[in-house]
Amino acid sequence: MSVISTKTVLFVSFGYFALLFLVASYAENRRKTGISLLKNSHIYSLSLAVYCTSWTFYGSVGKAATSGLEFLPIYLGPTLIAFAWWFLLRKMLLISKQQNITSIADFLSSRYDRSTALGAIVTLIAVLGITPYIALQLKAIAQTLTILTMPAMAFGSGLLSSSLPEGVDIAFFVALLLALFGILFGARSLDSSEKHEGLVVAVAFESIVKLIAFLAVGIFVTYGLFDGFLDIFQRFFEQFPERRDLLLLGTQQTPYTKWFTLIVLSMAAVMFLPRQFHIMITENVDEQHIKSAMWKFPAYLFLINLFVLPIALGGLIINGGDTTQADYFVLTLPLSAGHPWLALLVFIGGVSASAGMVMVSSVTTATMVLNHLVMPVLLKMNIHTQNLSRVLINIKRLGIFGVIFIGYFYFKAIGNSYALVNMGLISFAAVTQFAPAVLGGLFWKRTNRKAAITGISLGFILWFYTLLIPSFVRSGWLHSDILQNGLYGINLLKPLELFGLQGFDIYTHSLFWSMLFNLSAYLILSFFAKQTESERIQAETFVDIYQEQTPKPGQLKRISKAPTVIEFVELMSKFIGEKPAQAAITDFLGQQEINTKGGLSDHEIPNLKSFTERTLAGHVGAAPARIILDNYLSARGSEMEDVFDIFGTVTIDHAASREQLSVLYDAAQIVSSGGDFQKTLDKILELLADQFKFDLCVIRFLEPESMTLIVKSLVGSSSEHFGQFERNLNMETYIGQAFLSNTTIVVNDTANVDRPISAEHIKRDGITCLAHTPIVFEGEPIGILSAFSKTTKGIFTKEFIALFENLAGQISIAWRNDQQLQKLLQVREQEREMQIAKDIQKRLLPRNLPDLENIAIAGLCVPAHQVGGDYYDFIERNSLSYDLIIADVSGHNIGSALIMAETRTFIHARIQNVKHPAEMLRELNSFFLTDLDRSDLFVTMFYLQYNPITHRLIYGNAGHNTPLLWKKREQKIITLDAEGLIFGIKDGISFEQKAIDLEPGDILLLYTDGIIEAENKEKVFFGIERLGKVLQECDNLNPQELIDQIMIQCRIFTGMRHFIDDVTLVVMKVLK
Amino acid sequence: MKEVQVSSIREAWILCLILGLIMINFPFVHIFNSEQLFLGVPELVLYFFIGWPFSIFVIWFFVHCIDEDPQNTAGIVEDKSEP
Repeated sequence: MSVISTKTVLFVSFGYFALLFLVASYAENRRKTGISLLKNSHIYSLSLAVYCTSWTFYGSVGKAATSGLEFLPIYLGPTLIAFAWWFLLRKMLLISKQQNITSIADFLSSRYDRSTALGAIVTLIAVLGITPYIALQLKAIAQTLTILTMPAMAFGSGLLSSSLPEGVDIAFFVALLLALFGILFGARSLDSSEKHEGLVVAVAFESIVKLIAFLAVGIFVTYGLFDGFLDIFQRFFEQFPERRDLLLLGTQQTPYTKWFTLIVLSMAAVMFLPRQFHIMITENVDEQHIKSAMWKFPAYLFLINLFVLPIALGGLIINGGDTTQADYFVLTLPLSAGHPWLALLVFIGGVSASAGMVMVSSVTTATMVLNHLVMPVLLKMNIHTQNLSRVLINIKRLGIFGVIFIGYFYFKAIGNSYALVNMGLISFAAVTQFAPAVLGGLFWKRTNRKAAITGISLGFILWFYTLLIPSFVRSGWLHSDILQNGLYGINLLKPLELFGLQGFDIYTHSLFWSMLFNLSAYLILSFFAKQTESERIQAETFVDIYQEQTPKPGQLKRISKAPTVIEFVELMSKFIGEKPAQAAITDFLGQQEINTKGGLSDHEIPNLKSFTERTLAGHVGAAPARIILDNYLSARGSEMEDVFDIFGTVTIDHAASREQLSVLYDAAQIVSSGGDFQKTLDKILELLADQFKFDLCVIRFLEPESMTLIVKSLVGSSSEHFGQFERNLNMETYIGQAFLSNTTIVVNDTANVDRPISAEHIKRDGITCLAHTPIVFEGEPIGILSAFSKTTKGIFTKEFIALFENLAGQISIAWRNDQQLQKLLQVREQEREMQIAKDIQKRLLPRNLPDLENIAIAGLCVPAHQVGGDYYDFIERNSLSYDLIIADVSGHNIGSALIMAETRTFIHARIQNVKHPAEMLRELNSFFLTDLDRSDLFVTMFYLQYNPITHRLIYGNAGHNTPLLWKKREQKIITLDAEGLIFGIKDGISFEQKAIDLEPGDILLLYTDGIIEAENKEKVFFGIERLGKVLQECDNLNPQELIDQIMIQCRIFTGMRHFIDDVTLVVMKVLK
Repeated sequence: MKEVQVSSIREAWILCLILGLIMINFPFVHIFNSEQLFLGVPELVLYFFIGWPFSIFVIWFFVHCIDEDPQNTAGIVEDKSEP
């Protein structure tokens, strides 16, 4: 057997450690530059292989050589449980991230009401199970070093002799190096929820090394020493036909029950071993990594096991069936075959397997010890220092050092004991006790702290009694009496045959009893013990992690005498250091609503408290964080108070409760049903007061003239000082502030009122809490909705405020409706008045034109709007004189109508005194001069006077459209015109008067511009020509028919039924 | 439709877990627990060392099913009827 010099081994070993430090430093540097290597899913999957310790690396082959397939379940279990990772591990991961959970003890403690006791118990079990396991790793390193350098010594005496100089112990240096590594890369800061890139990447690196080393030796043995797998099996069966059992199950060595037990233990171990929990959950940066780890990790396990059987069987063949060296076949086979360098690679692989486990375990165990054993004691001692964070981080570092060196001393003291050698499975069995509490805690809300503590404690006691005691006996530390006769000689209490249960291997026996007690206690107490409020909340947080977290009834709390933000920061600084505390609070405040005073609103304070607790939990664990907060608050006299129960169900979002929706629905009903505005307001207030038991609810609206808020509606009892009082608008009162700043103001505890004026009112009426919210219309406040309670404090939760503001919105809608209604009524009134005006105006026009024997006459006036400015008239002075008037007042509004009425009145009044058209026009001009000047209106008029006997027509024009005269005999149209200005321009002007003689058949057409300026879509006027054409073509029609025809033709031309301007037509036909 | 798909993947995981537990335990493994060799390898050894990579393949396959689920919500639908 070839050997390697100690120097070479030491050189390579320390070189390898240096490489590990380099890799870790590189990873840390990458983190500092912002590119974390942990974002790589391969690294995550590889780091999970910390599961494979030296117990795997060397032990699997040993197990296979001595017990056969028994080594397999340890790897089949994890492969199987990987099927459940996407819903099991992922859920644990999400919870841990949300709660800043740092370890398995923290997870359980956090789930079960942040129980200090549970955290301590779990930590104790972990320490008991893990420190010997660390010893086992150190032992492996020391022993393999000896084998490598002095193979003869290693197995000869059975003692752990060393090839090193006297007094120099390699295990000591390794322990020292590993402790240093742990401190440097695992305890950089106190925040355990922070990632440790260096540690994880080093572990991943080690996983690669140990896999390569194992595959190398596997391939060497299978294909170097033998002729492949088949050759090994064939030669094994030829040489050792009696050992065929090794490759079977259900044998004395490996009964099916033991096989099943080992699968269960390994499934639990891969999930709940503190180091696995740490790597899988605490160091995870992306839940998507789980997906790739689900198959990569089992694939890793498969690869590292592929050559276990060939090496074991090959070792047996080569060593002639001798199993004394079986645990180290991987090392001795290449050594004896003359391949020391391969053996050195295997040694380094083994060191990797050991070192990875020790590094991670020491860090996690130290964290657990600090958080769950040291912190509670420290907090009990009530140490008054400004900054505990430095002390704590040093305690953690000391913890890492301590855990590794306890392991080292174990190794020195009991290195060869049965207990130590079997520590792997014993620790698996220990962490299996966490399974019911963890799984139940993840999926079952009803479980509680008592159930978890009792279950785990009973399981732990049974584990200790049925597994640890026998291994102590076998190690020779206890008298075998207890095994043979039971405790105090009671047969039923034999640790290996408890209550008479025989025929099972030690692990199955222990698993059965510990799980029976554990699970029974857990289930029974879960069913029968009552949950406290905080337990229920924590249960919901864990079980419903995938659901959006909404405050549930009873979860709404407020803190009386709440600490300020600064005080919370000071508290955090004390435990985690000033910088991290400042960074954390900045992060928190960025996501919160800040009230007008620049502080957090009342209902944000409990959130800040939870945040502080979570942040502290990331550093010191959940249970201590809770103690710290509770102590702090109780020292201040602050208390978490339940928010008035009826609001418990009030939320506005999608999770809005039925009660709350019904309030909003009722309010909306009241508003939409319309009715009296005052009654609407009263009903809304009654609803508010009724539903939420307010003592007083008030609605005030702004009186714009006096700029005061006037009470519009009030429900509840009030003194004149309070509810009924008008409020001036200033920032000295809460109501003024609410209005002016257009924000809701809440005073949840009037003991803290800082406005003297408000304080006076509040005190007089015994108000305990109040809220004002502005009633806003189009962004501007128009009033205030207020609610007051005299009995309860802190009822205005965030959810209630949302409801309250919503009600104010409903009131705003009611107000708007009322405003619109008022406007509508006003318009209707105006319309009615216009209708009256229209009717009156209509009556001012000649209703029935007289039936005369000499002439036929017809008239039409179509106002564009309700009233118009057109006017025509026919006045019979006597049988020898008919006056015909057409006038147009500019505009078509009520003003035009008035002028038109005035014109008519003037003409009718003066007609007997004014003989001729020109005279009438002149008088009208004088009359209108002042009136029209002031009204910006003007009037045009054509005035005609006809003598039916002489057929003479005399006429004058005041700027009006010239009438058309159809001369029947001559078959032509002539226009009548005379000099004259429109009325109201100039005083004293004279109007020309002309005369023309008519003949029977002649037709006179008077019109206003509405008809000739009617335009079609091409903006072309109907025009005088078209008008004349109609007149010409229809000269045989009577006047009314002619008017109708003109209207028809004009409508055909414009394509519209309505006219933009007033249209007036008067037709006079000379009959004889 | 979506929910059915999502919860069916979750159920598939659980089904695989249970199937796996059955297939590597008594009495199922007893089928292969014989001294006979198959192609020169003991049947039981062959069963485990073929079944194992196969189960890893099954996991790989289902993981890809989650990947195709656009919301990556497979397996997270909680049982609403929980006590």
